[in-house]
Amino acid sequence: MRAAALFAGSLLIALALWQFLSTAVFNPFLIPPPLVVLKTAAPMAQSGEIFRHVAISLARVGIGFSVGSAAAIVLGVLLGRIQLVNELLDPIIELLRFLSPTAMIPIAVIWFGIGELSKYFLIFWGTFFIVLINTTAGVMRAPVIRQRAAQCLGASPLQIFLLVVIPSAAPYIVTGMRIAMASSFMSIIPAEILAADSGIGFLLQQSSVLLQTNRIFVALLTICVIGFIFDRLFRIAVDRMLSRYMSYVALT
Amino acid sequence: MLAVRNVRKLYGEDARRELALDGIDLEVAPGEFVCLVGPSGCGKSTLLNILAGFERASGGEVEFEGVPVRGAGKERVMFFQDAGAALLPWLNAEENVRFALRVRNVPRGEWPAIIDKYLAMVDLAEHRHKFPAQLSGGMRQRLQIARALAVEPKVLLMDEPFAALDALTRRRMHGFLLDIWQRTGTTIVFVTHDIGEAVVLADRICVMSPGPRARITQVLQVNLARPRELTDPQAGQLFKRVEALLA
Repeated sequence: MRAAALFAGSLLIALALWQFLSTAVFNPFLIPPPLVVLKTAAPMAQSGEIFRHVAISLARVGIGFSVGSAAAIVLGVLLGRIQLVNELLDPIIELLRFLSPTAMIPIAVIWFGIGELSKYFLIFWGTFFIVLINTTAGVMRAPVIRQRAAQCLGASPLQIFLLVVIPSAAPYIVTGMRIAMASSFMSIIPAEILAADSGIGFLLQQSSVLLQTNRIFVALLTICVIGFIFDRLFRIAVDRMLSRYMSYVALT
Repeated sequence: MLAVRNVRKLYGEDARRELALDGIDLEVAPGEFVCLVGPSGCGKSTLLNILAGFERASGGEVEFEGVPVRGAGKERVMFFQDAGAALLPWLNAEENVRFALRVRNVPRGEWPAIIDKYLAMVDLAEHRHKFPAQLSGGMRQRLQIARALAVEPKVLLMDEPFAALDALTRRRMHGFLLDIWQRTGTTIVFVTHDIGEAVVLADRICVMSPGPRARITQVLQVNLARPRELTDPQAGQLFKRVEALLA
């Protein structure tokens, strides 16, 4: 109750500040006031234009993020479990992870064109390293005592791996995925601005060229809302399915 | 029988090599309760890890029932001081015991009866649905005991199991452990730096010298009736003797 009231309060403050900045400090062209943005958004929603762009961006994030997470978890487990693999690959990873998805846009366009594949690749790229590093850390930090305890109770190496190591790493993996998802929502935008003919980023780019600040604001607001919703959905899903693996982190 | 012959353990490399254990000899009879007492850093835990099969000895032999120990074996179950780390925190009390039965390939049909039996034995039947984080330190140790006993090991290796508990809880755990030991007849090798604990529990006390190059310097047979009290003059005498050996 209190949290909901404070959340609403926070939104109200933001709206008031927005209105104040747009009318009293700057001008309504540079910062379109809330009502104007709403009026711009209505027909865009009605015609389905905005949802079309959202759906395209979401599909790109969804595919890039899923494939990136899956690949990173598999490789991360190997890195965390096999010393040699770790020693061979860690230096490369430590170098490559500084190449943000944005830095990879030019080469991605040359490699994959401006179609969907280049966007999948860029989201994959951004997701992969974040999830990889977290997964490796989680697997490596699975307590030795916990593994030994299972071992002397009679667990086989495979059982130790599946029933002890992976669940121990789960909180790290999930945390990495959550950070990666937020970063995916951020990096899809520059990718679409620079090389796309659809998606929220494209909407931003197109509106900017036409100096339609009101439409830019609609797009920006959409990004905020979509990112927020998906982060919440992710948290709810984790709470539902993985709470027993997550809750102990704070407790032990 | 668990036999340790001239076990040596080297740590480190080249110039920095250190001999942690320098020729340990020990024989533990079936059903016996042996305490290894020594100052911190004398290699007690290392020796226990070698007995469990987690670490290899650099020299010498460890045999269990005539077979050389070559790795962790189901008949020797280790009991850790940090129950929070040893238990699986995402499983509740009952599920932790079930985990042991599962990895031990105990037939599924027998699980409920075994779980009930051992949770009752450690007085945790009412707390079976609680997670380790919801249990007190003593309760967690009891759960670890239940989990270890559920797979009916022949030897229980205990590494300062109660050192992290408060004095009162520790005393209760001693009574508890003795009771269970007498009922199950499990062989126990118990490592501690607490002389009082060794005097109260052991059939035999092995005193270790400070490391590196640790050895067992003295073996004392304890022929006092249980339950023992440290206030008892004979127990007090034994305490002083061990203390003098460690000084």
